[in-house]
Amino acid sequence: MFSISGIFITTFVSGLVAFLLHHSVPKIRDWFSIVIMGVIVYAVWELPVKANLLSFKLANYNLVFGNTEYGRLFALIVAVLGFFAILYSKDFMEGKPRLGYFYMAFFFSIGGMFGIVYSQDLISLFFFWEIMTWSSFLLVIYCCKEAQKIGLKYFVFSAIGAYSIMTAMVVLYSSIGSLQFADVFAGFGKMDFWSQLLVVVLLLMGFGVKSATMPLHVWAPGAYRITPSSFTAIFSGALSKMGIFGIGLTLFKIASATGFYPWVQEILAWIGALTALFATFYAVFATDAKTLLAYSSIGQLGYIVTGLAIGTPLSIAAALFLTVMHAIFKGMLFLATGAVYYRTGTTDMTKVSGLIRKMPYTFLTALFGIITVSGVPPLAGFSGKWMLYESLIQSNHYFLVVVIFFSSTAAFLYLYRYIFSLFLGQEEKETENVKEVPWLMRIPMLLLALATLVFGVAPGLLLHPVSAAMKYLGDFGVTYQTSVLFNEWGNKVDMLTVANTIGVVFIIVTIIITIKGYRSTRYVTTKDIHTSGEVPTENENLTYAVDFYKPFERALGSVLKASVDKIYNATGRILEQSFDYLRYVYTGNGQTYAMYVVLFLTILVVFSELIFGIKL
Amino acid sequence: MNLTPVQFVAIPLFAAFLIPIVAKISKEAVKYIPGIVFLYLAYVAFTLFPKALEKPIVEIIAGFKPPFGIVLYFGPTAAFLVSMVMVVGFVIWLYSFKFIIREPSEKYYMLFMMLITGATGIMLTGDVFNLFVFFEITAIAAYSLTAFLRDKDGAEAAFKYLLIGSFSSTFFLLAIALIYSNTHTLNMADLAVKMQNVDVTTKLFILILFISGLGIESELFPLNGWAPDAYSQAPTPVAAVFAGIVVKASLYALLRLVFLMFNWSEVFYLLLVLGVITMLVGEMSAMRQHQIKRMLAFSSIGQMGLIVIAFSIATVPSLQAGFFQMVNHVLIKSLLFFSAGYLVFHSGSKDISALDGLGKEKPITSFFFAFGALAILGLPPFSGFWGKMFILMAAGNSHLLLVVVLILISGIIEAVYYLRVISRLYFYKETTKEVRRTPVSGLVAMGILTVLIIILGLYPNTILAYLKPAANDLLHRTEYINAVLGQIHL
Amino acid sequence: MEINWLKVLGILITPVIAFIVGVTYGGLTRIITARIQNRFGPPVTQNFWDIVKLYSKKTNIQHGVMQHLAPVFAITASITTLYFVPVIRESTVFTNLSFQGDLIFLLYIMVFGSLGMALGVGQSGNPNGAIGVSRGLSQMVGYEIPFVLAIVAIMIQFKTTNLNDLIAMQNNFNHWIIFQSPFAFLAAILAFLGMMGYAPFDVVVAPAEIASGPPSEFGGKYLGLMMTSRSIFTFAKLTLFTDIFLGGAGDFVTLVIKTFALYMIPVLTGIVNPRFRTEQSIRFFWAWPTVFGILAVLIVVW
Repeated sequence: MFSISGIFITTFVSGLVAFLLHHSVPKIRDWFSIVIMGVIVYAVWELPVKANLLSFKLANYNLVFGNTEYGRLFALIVAVLGFFAILYSKDFMEGKPRLGYFYMAFFFSIGGMFGIVYSQDLISLFFFWEIMTWSSFLLVIYCCKEAQKIGLKYFVFSAIGAYSIMTAMVVLYSSIGSLQFADVFAGFGKMDFWSQLLVVVLLLMGFGVKSATMPLHVWAPGAYRITPSSFTAIFSGALSKMGIFGIGLTLFKIASATGFYPWVQEILAWIGALTALFATFYAVFATDAKTLLAYSSIGQLGYIVTGLAIGTPLSIAAALFLTVMHAIFKGMLFLATGAVYYRTGTTDMTKVSGLIRKMPYTFLTALFGIITVSGVPPLAGFSGKWMLYESLIQSNHYFLVVVIFFSSTAAFLYLYRYIFSLFLGQEEKETENVKEVPWLMRIPMLLLALATLVFGVAPGLLLHPVSAAMKYLGDFGVTYQTSVLFNEWGNKVDMLTVANTIGVVFIIVTIIITIKGYRSTRYVTTKDIHTSGEVPTENENLTYAVDFYKPFERALGSVLKASVDKIYNATGRILEQSFDYLRYVYTGNGQTYAMYVVLFLTILVVFSELIFGIKL
Repeated sequence: MNLTPVQFVAIPLFAAFLIPIVAKISKEAVKYIPGIVFLYLAYVAFTLFPKALEKPIVEIIAGFKPPFGIVLYFGPTAAFLVSMVMVVGFVIWLYSFKFIIREPSEKYYMLFMMLITGATGIMLTGDVFNLFVFFEITAIAAYSLTAFLRDKDGAEAAFKYLLIGSFSSTFFLLAIALIYSNTHTLNMADLAVKMQNVDVTTKLFILILFISGLGIESELFPLNGWAPDAYSQAPTPVAAVFAGIVVKASLYALLRLVFLMFNWSEVFYLLLVLGVITMLVGEMSAMRQHQIKRMLAFSSIGQMGLIVIAFSIATVPSLQAGFFQMVNHVLIKSLLFFSAGYLVFHSGSKDISALDGLGKEKPITSFFFAFGALAILGLPPFSGFWGKMFILMAAGNSHLLLVVVLILISGIIEAVYYLRVISRLYFYKETTKEVRRTPVSGLVAMGILTVLIIILGLYPNTILAYLKPAANDLLHRTEYINAVLGQIHL
Repeated sequence: MEINWLKVLGILITPVIAFIVGVTYGGLTRIITARIQNRFGPPVTQNFWDIVKLYSKKTNIQHGVMQHLAPVFAITASITTLYFVPVIRESTVFTNLSFQGDLIFLLYIMVFGSLGMALGVGQSGNPNGAIGVSRGLSQMVGYEIPFVLAIVAIMIQFKTTNLNDLIAMQNNFNHWIIFQSPFAFLAAILAFLGMMGYAPFDVVVAPAEIASGPPSEFGGKYLGLMMTSRSIFTFAKLTLFTDIFLGGAGDFVTLVIKTFALYMIPVLTGIVNPRFRTEQSIRFFWAWPTVFGILAVLIVVW
């Protein structure tokens, strides 16, 4: 009863239905979407794992869809995160314009992602890839006039990526004669060197755009910032993973058959690491919470790319583990930021402060989120990072691990700034009446937060599907127990012991310090602080929020000034200028046109030998 | 009545003469004539299609056997193109129904019918002089239609078109004169045989004249100076006629002649280069246009370049792809012109900047435009996707990777300017104006196109089965010659 | 499950011992500093009495739950770190949980406390506190590079990430990593200066400038808990360094000697140096210490 076509049809038709409902009975639109998404989650979960579930011939191409363990992992990310996001959307999007459009694009992009992960041939992968692209583009430009430029950039980069994939497909098809995964994977090794190189580079480039790998990331900060937060969670959490999905396939199923595979691995690993590094720097100096998270997202995806590129069992496990974790924690953080936006109307970190007492649940989500991102135990981020570092060290990538470690440390900077600026600091008069968000928005956030704790204590729960997915990618096996992680030298970390230790100590000390002097402890406002005799007035906000990391900026010096974005923008401008000049070829003057005709004839006649090989 | 291919030419011609007479009796009745003609001819075309697939129908006019008599050749290619013209013609008529209200409509419909006569004639005729005649009919109808609004801009555009068009005619006629003086025949199948005996220099000169002459109407760069003006100044349905019918017909003529008489690899190479240049120049020029219809005109040029590329690769898959893209372009560009027509009409200005916020004011028309824009960018699940992909795959199979890359680059440029317009439609301004309705006939016309685009996008097999014979028909001249002349060994 | 009572004992008394040693070192530091500055200084037990006094304060002020929990975070991190560091070599009592974790885990758990403190400081709403945190985090990014380089060099040289294995390999005096991998030690010890936060890397607290920065809103039991945590953490860090570079310790006397020697490095450096600005200290760490770290790695690789 659970079929792939059923999932596709449900998703896409629901998009249309939601659109129509918006224009007929808007009241049931949201609940309809929620229920459908719930059904889809169940269907994705129950869908049997089989490589060929649906195949038909379309336009001389065999299109095959199937459910592999690898695809299933990603499909579950999409479905679950999609469900949470849509649950969150009900209140978050309330009263916004064009909601039919929103839900339609939402469902379409979810459907596009399902198509990608279930497709077993490149044509259908590309087909759905493009659907995902334009539907997410529709959501990028959804908000306002400002979004148009950003949307265009997103689309242009997506198109560059998609067309790289297309070109690779053309090359593959011309040498293998089929685009089914089975044939491509089998036949790739027999292709000639240059075609192989071209295909691998193009595919990595194409998928790299979606996973916002530098230097193809420039669309991401803007696009993540401008989309409605409930979709940004999907955008960063699930949609970017499609790039990872593709990179995984490319690396292990295609590139591994070539002679230059080690080079590809090495270069890609470094690209990933540098992406992580620079994205972290940019995130540190971002002033908008969503921009910050966007850069953070780019950086985290950099780790994942590095993990995949290293290609040892542990590193792949780390990468896939982080993939799931990234979906969870970036989902949380974007939803939490959305919650702040929902109540205060801004995500500018210099404008909001001191929300912790007003929005405790949101704060808790954000707190769990940043602890997970930073990789501090006992939450689940640590397991992923641990495996990544161990695998890097054990595969002799010494400097790589330092770069990764360093960017991971630098991540503390922006993470602290994120939570400090929004939730901590002085409480403001303007936000006096701010309340916690409705329960429908809280539930997804808190459930995701719970997930980080569960997977933190028992990473094995997650490593189970991850190792199944790795089996699909190749002969990779990784040792783990429910709560114990092992590295390739046999050293281990027992997360249960860690969590227990931290938990016990934390609880005991909390009890002691709370009881001790309970009566003598009193709460004072954040205005009542030690400021060397100066008392801040009600309207004065002393929160340190502007230029938060000025010293760090000074230490980095001119490193930050380098920006590929500027190069792209300049290229774009120059091209447009030159197109503008080209426009004047068409002067609008009939005589000129007549001259062109005569000129054309003359050239053909005069250069006939050159053109036709025959002299006139 | 016996269904024969000659009806495709005769009935529109008859209708064209009938229209002024009927107009004397009832102005209203005139409007329905083209619709009936298209419906009937579409019926004829679809009935004859399977027969043409089995065996090309060769119809001899006035009793003289080829190569002496005039012959109509209704092979798979012609069948396909004629069906396409009939369907699109019907949709255009539907759209014109309410759009052409200001002017005496009988003149419009008469010219329209003349144009259809010419276009189907081009597609069917097996005689090179007849080809010229039909070509002239088409051209003259097209000039008049360009200036149909009788305003200053329209007249200027029509004049430019006429100016360049007369070059086209001259070259064509000159070529025919040369052919006749060298081979003493005008039958195309016969020519294909006899041209082999003509000395290569003359042949080359004829070829150059053909390319230059027919290239003008097929919008090849740099011969397409007339196009932007004509497209943007003519009434909207006429622009769709140009993009959908006139240009396709003359491209077909060029290709048929080239495949029959000049299938040297260099010619295809030249066409390929011309196609690439046309595509790039078209798309690049479209980027910074300020008027929406001009932009569409340049986009149309770009698309023609793409189609020429497909045909000049000259393999069965590439020809198939070319035909598919032809259908795409006809459907999508018509949709775009139609919706743009109403957008311009309602915003009162031809400028793109005047379109701000029309998405709210005219939701359905704007939706159609956005839909068309996404479709022409080659995004799935619209038909444009398959067209583009077939061409790319065909190019890849012929190891033309550079062409693949250039096509994709032009696709990116295309994306930029189309998406800008979409943005303006929906997001630049929040208007509180009333929703204004586009006439039902226009909406139905656009709706039909939309449905066709979606159907072709989700299930391209619908027409693919017919494209392969068409491609074979165009590519392999032997069959053509054999069908017309009987078994002749080359 | 059989309970190993010796282990339980270890878990109970290790923090206490760590606290005592840490507090004593703190007292000694004050005396040494005073002597060098030609003063007498307070008695050794002064720090201990300070903490006792803080715990018994009549009024305690807090700005919210995060601030309330901040010292708890800190001490949790200190004690957890301590548990995962083998204190005495091959001792059942004092290896605690060190077989359940490894070096990379330690690097991360050490941050746990700082993160909690930073959050608490953030909630206090004191701008000086936030400035201090900003500086502290920036500085941490500075010394992390040489430190990680050193750790990585050691891990790849000995092909283990487990501290017990490392100690076992240094069973002889000339096997100490300080001699086997001197550049790693150099890089690590310079990073250690930053970690300890004595001058010239004390811009985080900078008493005269930002009124002690982060701790400025903490008083009473909270400050007491923070100081307790600091003492334990100092001891934990010193033990960690001893384990990594000086072959660990077989008994308490050795441990005290080794840790005290290590401890004197930042203390003595601190006394004779002025304060770096944040960017200066970051640049400092990215200069020579990093070079040493890279050298250490390169030597191992070849």
